[in-house]
Amino acid sequence: MASADAVLEIEGLTKVYRSLFTPAGVRAVDNLNLTVRQGETYSIVGPNGSGKTTTLKILLGLIFPTAGSATIFGKDIADLSVRERIGFLPEDAYLYDCFSGEELLDFYASLFGYSKARRRELVDELLTLVGMQANRKVPFRECSKGMRQRIALAQALVNDPELLILDEPTSGLDPAGRHQMTLLIQEMKRRGKTILLCSHFLAEVEEVCDRVGIMYRGRLVAEGTLSELAGEPEETVVTATGLTGDLAGRLSALPTVREVTTDTVRLDHVGEKDLWQVLQVIHEGGGEIVEVSRPRPSLQDIFVKAIREEAQ
Amino acid sequence: MNPIVTKVILAVGLALIVAAAVVTRKVWLSGIWHAVPSVWRIAKITVAEARRRRVLRAVIALVIVIIISMTFFSYLSPQEQARMLINGGLSAITVFGILLAIFVAAFLIPNEIENRTVYAILAKPVRRFEFVLGKYLGALIVLAAVVAIMTVVLVGVLLVQDRLVEDLPDSAFNPNIGQVVFAAAMSYCALAVLTALIVLISTVSSTTMTVISAFIIWVVGSLQSQIHDLAENAAGAAKLLLLVMYHLVPHLENFDFRFQASYFQPIPVPAAVSAVLSGILYTGVVLIVASVFFNDRQV
Repeated sequence: MASADAVLEIEGLTKVYRSLFTPAGVRAVDNLNLTVRQGETYSIVGPNGSGKTTTLKILLGLIFPTAGSATIFGKDIADLSVRERIGFLPEDAYLYDCFSGEELLDFYASLFGYSKARRRELVDELLTLVGMQANRKVPFRECSKGMRQRIALAQALVNDPELLILDEPTSGLDPAGRHQMTLLIQEMKRRGKTILLCSHFLAEVEEVCDRVGIMYRGRLVAEGTLSELAGEPEETVVTATGLTGDLAGRLSALPTVREVTTDTVRLDHVGEKDLWQVLQVIHEGGGEIVEVSRPRPSLQDIFVKAIREEAQ
Repeated sequence: MNPIVTKVILAVGLALIVAAAVVTRKVWLSGIWHAVPSVWRIAKITVAEARRRRVLRAVIALVIVIIISMTFFSYLSPQEQARMLINGGLSAITVFGILLAIFVAAFLIPNEIENRTVYAILAKPVRRFEFVLGKYLGALIVLAAVVAIMTVVLVGVLLVQDRLVEDLPDSAFNPNIGQVVFAAAMSYCALAVLTALIVLISTVSSTTMTVISAFIIWVVGSLQSQIHDLAENAAGAAKLLLLVMYHLVPHLENFDFRFQASYFQPIPVPAAVSAVLSGILYTGVVLIVASVFFNDRQV
C-alpha cells in the first residue's frame, strides 16, 4: 500500500538472470518489498551477492526487473523526470579517468541543462563541500581512492537531489577516508536528503542509518530501526572490582546470575529487585561497583543472526 | 548497381525509417527538445576524451609521414608523381580513417559498459537513444577532424610539390585540389556509414566481436561488385548468404572517388549524390535500430 511520505516504494521486485548454463535462472532479487520514507536514511545491508547492487541498478534503469515494480516520488522508475531528482554514487567511483574533478562535475552538471555560469558556481560549491578545491585540476586517474570517492559523491549532488542512492560509498577507503565519507553522508542527512545506502560496512551503517534492511539471497530477511532489530536487551552486565573468592561464589549461587568473572557479573535480563540483590551482595562482599549496563546487540550481531537463521 | 534495385533499397529503407519512427514515437516525440542538448553534451565529452588519447595523434602523425614520404619518388614524371601522391594520400586517408573509425566506434559503447562509466550518465536525465546518438556524433566529429587534418596535409604537400616542379620542362603536375578534397570528403562519408554500423553492432556484442565484425564489413563493403558477381554465379545457401551480404552491408566502394581524383577524371555527380543520400538513409536506419537495441540492453 502506498505510504503518503514514501519517496521510494518497491513491490514484489524480482530479477532472474538466465543463461544457457542456468536455464532455470539465478534469482538475484526475489520478491523484494521495501519503502523508504521522506528524509530517512535507509540502508540495505547484506553479504556479497545478496542482491543489493542489482536492486539499485533496477531502480536506476540500468537493468530491468523480471517482475514487480518500483516507484520513486510516486512515479515509475522508467520516468525520466525521476532522474532529475535523484543522485547516484556508483560503487568504486566509475567516472571518466582522463578528466579532472572540475571537468567531470562540469560535464555531469551540463546533463541537467545548467548554464555555464551556474555550472561554474555549482562546481565551486561541490568541490568545497567534498574538500577537493585544492585538487580540482588533478586528473581523476591520478586521484587517490578517497579523492575519487569524494568527486563521485559530488557528481551525485550536482542536481541537489532529494533522493541520494549510494552504492558502497566507503568501499576500499582507509579509516580516515571512511570517516570523511561518513561525515559527508551525515551532512547530507542534516540537509534533509532521503538516502538509500547499500553497504557491508556495518559500523558506518550503524552511525548514519535510521532504518536497515538485511538482504540475503535476494530477499529482505529483516527490516527495522536498529533498536527494533536489536529487540530487548537479553542480559544485564555489572562491572565491578574485587569479584574474587567468597564473593564470586556467593554471586554464582544467585539464581539470576549467568556468569561471574574477575570484573563482571552477567545476569539474565532481570527486574530491578533482582538487580538490587546482586548489587547488594557485591557491596557487602567488599566489591566496588563501576558500571551497570544492558548492552544491545550490535548490527554485526543482528546481521549474523539474521543470515544464520535464514541459511538454516 | 541496377537503378531499379537502388530505388527498391531506398524505398525499403525509407519504409523502415518511418516504421521505426512510428514504433518508437513515444521515445523520441516527447523528448525531442530534450534530446538535442543531451546528444550534444555526450558528443562533446566523447570528443574531449578522444582528444586525450595518444593513439589518435599517432595515427595522424603516421599518415602525415606517409604522405610526405611519397614526395621522395623523384624518378617519376611530374604527372605520375601527382597521381601517386593523390592516390596514395587518399588511400592513406581512407585506410587509416577506416582503421580509426573501427577502433573509435567499436570501443565507444562497450568501453562505457565495461568501465561502468555509463552508470553515472544513465542515472542522470539522459535517454538511452540520446547516449547512442551522442556517442556516434562524437565519433563523427573526431573522424571529421582527423580526415580534415590529413586532407590539409595532402593538399599542402600537393601545392608545395606543384610549386617545386612548375619551372621544370614538361611540367604537368597541376593537381586538381577540388577533386582531391571532394574524394576525401566522400571517404569521410564512407567512414560515417561504417561507424554507424559498428555502433549498432557494439550495442549488442562485446568489443572483440565488434572489431572482428567491423573488419569483415569493411572488406565486404569494399568488394560489393565482386560479391554481386559471385552471388549471380552461386546457388542455394551460398547465393542467399552473398545476396544478404550484398544488400545489408553498406556499399563503401560507392564512396570511392580516388580514381577520378588521381586520373583527373570528371566526378560523376549523380553517383556521388546517390551515394550520399543512400548513405544518410542507411545511417538513419542503422542508428534507429542501434537505439532500439541499446534501449533494451541491460548494463
